[in-house]
Amino acid sequence: MAQIRLVNVSKRWGSYVGVDNFNLDIADAEFLVLLGPSGCGKTTTMRMIAGLEDVTEGEIWIGDKIVNNLEPKDRDISMVFQSYGLYPNLSVYENIRFPLRVRGIPKAEHHERVMRAAAMVELGPFLERRPAALSGGQRQRVALARSIVREPNAFLMDEPLSNLDAKLRVSTRAQIKNLHHTLKRTTIYVTHDQIEAMTLADRVVVMNKGLVQQLGTPTEIYDRPANTFVASFIGSPAMNLIDGDVTDGIFRAEGMALPIPLGVSGPITLGFRAEDVQVVPQGGQLSATVYSMELLGDATLVSCRIGPALVSIRAAKDFRTQIGAPLHVAIPPSAVHVFDRSSGQRLSDNTGLPAQATSSKTGAA
Amino acid sequence: MTDIANRRPLALKTLTTVFLVIWLIAAAFPFVWTVWGSFKVEADFFSRQSWWMAIEGTRTQAQTGSAFTLQGYEGAWIKNEFWKAAINTMIVTLSVTIISLTIGTLGGYALARSGYRYAFWILIAALVFRAMPHITLVSGYMLPFFELNIWGVLPTTIIVLVAINQPFTLWMLHSFFLSIPKDLDESAMVDGCTRFQAFRMVIMPVMWPGVITTGLFSFLLGYNDFAVTSMLLSQQNQTMVPKIASFLGSIQNEGNVMFAVAAVVSATVPLFILVLFFQRQIVSGLTAGAVKG
Repeated sequence: MAQIRLVNVSKRWGSYVGVDNFNLDIADAEFLVLLGPSGCGKTTTMRMIAGLEDVTEGEIWIGDKIVNNLEPKDRDISMVFQSYGLYPNLSVYENIRFPLRVRGIPKAEHHERVMRAAAMVELGPFLERRPAALSGGQRQRVALARSIVREPNAFLMDEPLSNLDAKLRVSTRAQIKNLHHTLKRTTIYVTHDQIEAMTLADRVVVMNKGLVQQLGTPTEIYDRPANTFVASFIGSPAMNLIDGDVTDGIFRAEGMALPIPLGVSGPITLGFRAEDVQVVPQGGQLSATVYSMELLGDATLVSCRIGPALVSIRAAKDFRTQIGAPLHVAIPPSAVHVFDRSSGQRLSDNTGLPAQATSSKTGAA
Repeated sequence: MTDIANRRPLALKTLTTVFLVIWLIAAAFPFVWTVWGSFKVEADFFSRQSWWMAIEGTRTQAQTGSAFTLQGYEGAWIKNEFWKAAINTMIVTLSVTIISLTIGTLGGYALARSGYRYAFWILIAALVFRAMPHITLVSGYMLPFFELNIWGVLPTTIIVLVAINQPFTLWMLHSFFLSIPKDLDESAMVDGCTRFQAFRMVIMPVMWPGVITTGLFSFLLGYNDFAVTSMLLSQQNQTMVPKIASFLGSIQNEGNVMFAVAAVVSATVPLFILVLFFQRQIVSGLTAGAVKG
């Protein structure tokens, strides 16, 4: 009942394009994350859905009606702002009650609903305080309670965790995930933090420069990035991307030789994730000297330089080496992603290389 | 704090203290002198023999039998109907303040939240009008007002003062509104408010310090204005400031100048009380304007 549909939605300010031809169907009760670097149009998209920004072109549907010309208050949505947007002159209780008050919901229901919303985000002891007397995390929870008190059709959240410290972010993230599970409402969540996107989302929309780069489940986006932008944006560390040339089915870059049986030739960008490859004592497809070594606790991150690219390799937690020491890395064919060098688009369509390549590769190695 | 102050060289300390004392005397003396003198007769306060007479009140003693007299106040307030001027001032300043604030809050809010270019040009135009000397506007008004037969009455003056004051109110409130984050309006609108409800229920409660400060400045403008009120009000509708001027303009009559002195003191005292009472708001308002422009 609260599907949200965006049809060819664009937003332009003069000649500047904020969002370009955005198409998206969001299912009822889905948790959708808009992910991208700052200035990519993700917040603009959300604000258009909320009605805070006019749509230049296209249609936005909420449920079974076009909402392009509806005021925000008539769209039956609620929103959590990055800066919380709490009313400084009202107590926490009155802040949470505000949506009920202005929408003329019968007074008798107010108290119960406010208390229920406050309990959901564990705000009980703070109800009489002013927002100024709360910590950042508590303010964020007031904003959450205010958005859920009315139980609208859809929740919009604009980087709600970005002003919190790292530890609080993790616990509030879990709380949001749990709230979504309890309330079962369509939720659109904007963030530039790929970990938030991976942990919270049913589906993720990766955006850059106003364009949708990829739409998919977190696993799809992680395992099969559609282009080099997504590959370099998702993951920590991001996917290693190495420019090189394919001649006679062999990819070559400085210190690297790797068969690519895709029928492509010429310049490509090759990608692999740090955890999909292994450090080996001899041989391997990549040989270089160690540039840096970082201990992460659960693993050791070794990096080396291939031309201008810094390549990270995840090794076992007890692996130790010296900066400047030789490094050999085995790259299994299933780990390899191939992208067109000029357009950045993905060329290999499975995770890694085709199956028959695996056997020939193993032979070569 | 005190440690740093104590570490200063003695010479510098003496110098600053002396400077402050001189400055304080220079600033306060005219006012103290006027208040003191307002209880004397003209022959004392404007004595040609010795200014010491104004302090001792020799002639006052001789004429009234006491060192202090209320003659000046009696003449101004009762005989010359200064109370009428006081009431007129009250009507004019209160009306100017209320009308300016109503238009200023609505307009300032609209301009602060408008994404359009014209908002900027409206503010620039307002600034230009603000920069003009008041008297230049008034000279243009005179003839039409005579023609329309609306010269000399209070409502006309109020409208003109509002027009003169509005650019300033608009600027000041505009910058106050800019300092209130847009998220507040937006969350109110998502929570179910119309634009006007968001303004009334969410923004205005946060805006009170700004409104009070701007209101004070509007009040002072209306209260202190001479150019407009002296040109646009008929004799019987005069407010306090032009009334004082007309006392001073008729000094050939013995004692009239004392009416002016008494009236000056009467007009200044309410301002002192007002400024003392609202000094915190005035200072914060001044700095807000300074930072936000």
